[in-house]
Amino acid sequence: MKQKALVICPGRGTYNKEELGYLQRFHAAEEGSDKAAFFARLDSYRQHQGQIPVSELDGRDTFVMREHTRGDNASPLIHACAYADFLSIDREQFDVVAITGNSMGWYIALAAAQALKEPAAIEVINTMGTLMQESMIGGQMIYPLVDENWRLIPGRRDYLLALMASINQQAEADLYISIELGGLLVFGGNEVALKQLLEQLPPEQGRFPLRLHNHAAFHTPLLKAIAEQGQKMLGAELFEAPAIPLIDGRGHIWQPYSTDTQALHQYTLGHQVYLAYDFSKALEVSVKEFAPDRIIILGPGNTLGGAVAQALININWQGLSCKADFISQQKQDPYVLAMGMEEQRVKVCG
Amino acid sequence: MQNRAKVVDENFIRRVELGDLPSSPISLSLADVGLRPPELVELFESQLMSRHLDLQSRLLQARGEAFYTIGSSGHEGCVAIGKAFDYRDMAFLHYRDAAFLIQRSKQLPGETILYDMLLSFAASADDPISGGRHKVLGSKRLAVPPQTSTIASHLPKAVGAAYSIPLAKRMKLDGGLPHDGVVLCSFGDASSNHSTAQGAINAAAWAAYQKVPMPLVFVCEDNGIGISTATPEGWVAANYANRPGLKYIYCDGLNLLDTYRKAREAAFYARRHRLPVFLHMRTVRLMGHAGSDAQTAYLERQAIEAMEAQDPLLHTARLLIDNAVLDAAQICELYEAMRERTARVAEQAIKRPKLKTSEQVMASLIPPKSNLPAFKPAMPEARSEIFARESRFLNEPQHMARLINWTLADLMLEQSNIILAGEDIGPKGGVYNVTGKLSERFGQHRVINTLLDEQSILGLAIGLGHNGFLPIPEIQFLAYVHNAEDQIRGEAATLSFFSNGQYSNPMVLRVAGLAYQKGFGGHFHNDNSLAVFRDIPGLVVACPSNGADAVEMLRACVKLAQEQQRVVVFIEPIALYMTRDLHEEGDGLWTHDYVPPAEAKPIQPGEFGQYGEGTELCILTYGNGYFLSRQAAKVLEEQHGIDLRVIDLRWLAPLNEAQLAEVIAPCAHLLIVDECRGAGSVSEALMAMVQEQIQDKRQALDKPALKVKRLTAAESFIPLGRAATCTLPSKESILALALNLLGKDASRSSVNVKTA
Repeated sequence: MKQKALVICPGRGTYNKEELGYLQRFHAAEEGSDKAAFFARLDSYRQHQGQIPVSELDGRDTFVMREHTRGDNASPLIHACAYADFLSIDREQFDVVAITGNSMGWYIALAAAQALKEPAAIEVINTMGTLMQESMIGGQMIYPLVDENWRLIPGRRDYLLALMASINQQAEADLYISIELGGLLVFGGNEVALKQLLEQLPPEQGRFPLRLHNHAAFHTPLLKAIAEQGQKMLGAELFEAPAIPLIDGRGHIWQPYSTDTQALHQYTLGHQVYLAYDFSKALEVSVKEFAPDRIIILGPGNTLGGAVAQALININWQGLSCKADFISQQKQDPYVLAMGMEEQRVKVCG
Repeated sequence: MQNRAKVVDENFIRRVELGDLPSSPISLSLADVGLRPPELVELFESQLMSRHLDLQSRLLQARGEAFYTIGSSGHEGCVAIGKAFDYRDMAFLHYRDAAFLIQRSKQLPGETILYDMLLSFAASADDPISGGRHKVLGSKRLAVPPQTSTIASHLPKAVGAAYSIPLAKRMKLDGGLPHDGVVLCSFGDASSNHSTAQGAINAAAWAAYQKVPMPLVFVCEDNGIGISTATPEGWVAANYANRPGLKYIYCDGLNLLDTYRKAREAAFYARRHRLPVFLHMRTVRLMGHAGSDAQTAYLERQAIEAMEAQDPLLHTARLLIDNAVLDAAQICELYEAMRERTARVAEQAIKRPKLKTSEQVMASLIPPKSNLPAFKPAMPEARSEIFARESRFLNEPQHMARLINWTLADLMLEQSNIILAGEDIGPKGGVYNVTGKLSERFGQHRVINTLLDEQSILGLAIGLGHNGFLPIPEIQFLAYVHNAEDQIRGEAATLSFFSNGQYSNPMVLRVAGLAYQKGFGGHFHNDNSLAVFRDIPGLVVACPSNGADAVEMLRACVKLAQEQQRVVVFIEPIALYMTRDLHEEGDGLWTHDYVPPAEAKPIQPGEFGQYGEGTELCILTYGNGYFLSRQAAKVLEEQHGIDLRVIDLRWLAPLNEAQLAEVIAPCAHLLIVDECRGAGSVSEALMAMVQEQIQDKRQALDKPALKVKRLTAAESFIPLGRAATCTLPSKESILALALNLLGKDASRSSVNVKTA
């Protein structure tokens, strides 16, 4: 019997130095295939826009931070990797029962679920990535809600919310919750606010507070103008009902036969762009309402694995209560399969 | 799976594939009712989820994993009602309304309704509404307070909640329900006959008839049968179609388009006009009353099959196909996908933890502390204004009735969410004038003269409590509580328990009661049994014996309700309302000065009153018993030289057992005086407690046993006139029994003593 799988699509920040050559490594040997055709069309679209083709970016000798992490490059690059990974899932083995994504991963989720057919997905993702890069409003900063064992730190959320409120007292500071990312809280805000946040948050776990390079204040009201611009450039006709249930960044389920495509367009280029993205809630709804046998995280990278595990721990899913539980479960019979990790990827691709 | 469930299940696919779908006399298009194709599919998906939950519950029960198979099959048309109302419109749901809740959950992203309902089936501690205490339909976020709804006992509180909405708007109170909201309550055709339902519907219509705003929609889901008893053909319509003050709308619950259109009409009417609506929805009942119900014992096979042929899911399938929204294959695909998904989620839900200990079960008996902001003391100017006409009395000692009146005035001044409600409590000031002038001072919207129906009074209080008010309902006489006791026992006291502490209905229920009224008598005005309140988990019962205590205890009760969201009963001994003297005429010993709030000397819940420090005899009593015991104590002290103490329990539930043991411990003799009938009385509990906590310990320590006697009222109702007190403890009988207990000669007393 096929296993029921939930697919999670990654967002920005997942194509890093280690991922350079991802397309070549995992998807090059399939010339003439659907995937190869997809890459060709994506590259051609990019060329037509006067942008660097993704295969060229992926094929560079070295990873160049300022080039590879720019929104107009990173978004289509991640789209290409993730969508190609989605096509690599062994459908004889897995029945995909639901799809969700984190942040920009929402667009990829739409693509995987066929709510954005390939050309529409290319256009939407490339356009939104480019708009983000052109405006570069504010930025994002991450701070943990959990300790090193991935257990919630008592009082931490309240502390962070109070700090956010106090920073927002300053006339020029604009700070918001950008993403609920499992054990991490991602803030989005303007420079004044982020500077304050950086100064006031005590350093922790060796890397926090962590400013995300080349990221704008995604999912905050600072991007309302971008959302409006996106809505003007990308019409509702690009959107279709998904073929597979989709769970969005509020935890709303979009079902194949009951999706209102106007509403899907409105959410994707409205709320989703300028209001908080609750990936933790999306994951909670996905596992509780679809009870998958496995969770497949599409590549590139594996930065989402921790957030997924932490979100599961937060709801004590299947009895998971800490990092050690998760690691032990993964060793015995991995529940989460990250395609960005080669040993897990083989379990997905067959 | 029971046979009929299997038949209904198999029928669906077979008939959809064959195109053998039931017809409908209603010809409405999607456009006619303002629905778009995806919305119709969404409604259908909710219906499917509800149906597969029913089917799954039977499979789980057979495995011992679920415990309740009463379902919603046949009533799935209520999805359209779920869509027609905003999710913030409070809904008190019929137990067959799973589909309503499922559909409503779709208004709020992030809900996990399938998993949550399966947790409820599995009685898991994770069940977000009841925490594993019952399979109830409810949700805090979706404004659906849980209750069992089996006997329409949720209707009076729906009337109360509806009444609270315009009142909150008028008073600018934000109690949680939107000021333009409406309230919905649903029930079956059988329970529409229940006196509670009749009373509630009557109360709503009574209010609307005199233009009192009442934004309420009653939804009567008429499947034509109550367990095995058929509802007479046409009965519901005949009963409700022409009621004054009540707008009647009929819809065919088998047809989603008709139901959606009528439900919207009902919601619009109730919201716009703030008047009650009776939405009568035709349904069928599929799969019997519950999993264990053998329908063939009381229904012909053809009748069962005729109902099954009208499966609302088949009707929706027809609508989907006729409107070219889905084809038969897609409908069957959805049906099977939902079955498979439900089963998969069920396997996860049944693994979740269950309640295991009594502590876990009882954790929500008492609601959590309220997060209402603390109330500020009333400004002196405001007090001066309110008490202007009383000023010359304020410095004189007063009887209990007036002291309670002033306490209520101060509380209402200080706490703006307090609402009084009861029979004749308005301009008349109640039958004993305890609420005199309050209506004039605070307005008729805060001192509500209700209709003569105790269920409605208590329902009003519960409903007000759902919307941030602190109701202080009054029941005119203790004997009148009994016809409405379920509103306290089955509803108010259980809300926190069944909602895992998420919902509460704080209140202070004032009840004038107990016996000893001079020159009057009669059972109905002198009821002397508190058993109705004593065994209700979580309930607080207070009973002051004098005005000074009444002031502080009433304040403490309001504090308990306001800060801890408790349901509190405040028993006011009628015979002591106007009592001024204790030992002899004119001594004024039973009058007290009014202590204003700023100088209050709080009496904590559970804290006793005590007269004397003696250890030879302890008299344990309350209410009128305390008053009489104090009279007897004077004789015992002065004429018999007995060194005694008289304890006034003040708080009858929960009993402060630790302090009781402490006050009794130094004493050699204990006399328990209870003005109520012995059976089920507080003195029974005291006797048991003395044995378990005192005698057994004394025996273990080789100490002499405490000598104990109990004096109670006889097991009788109270007669009229001069005989009114002859079944009750008296000063004389207390004295006699005390002396008997002490082994003293009663003949030395100057009063005539009969042996008890």
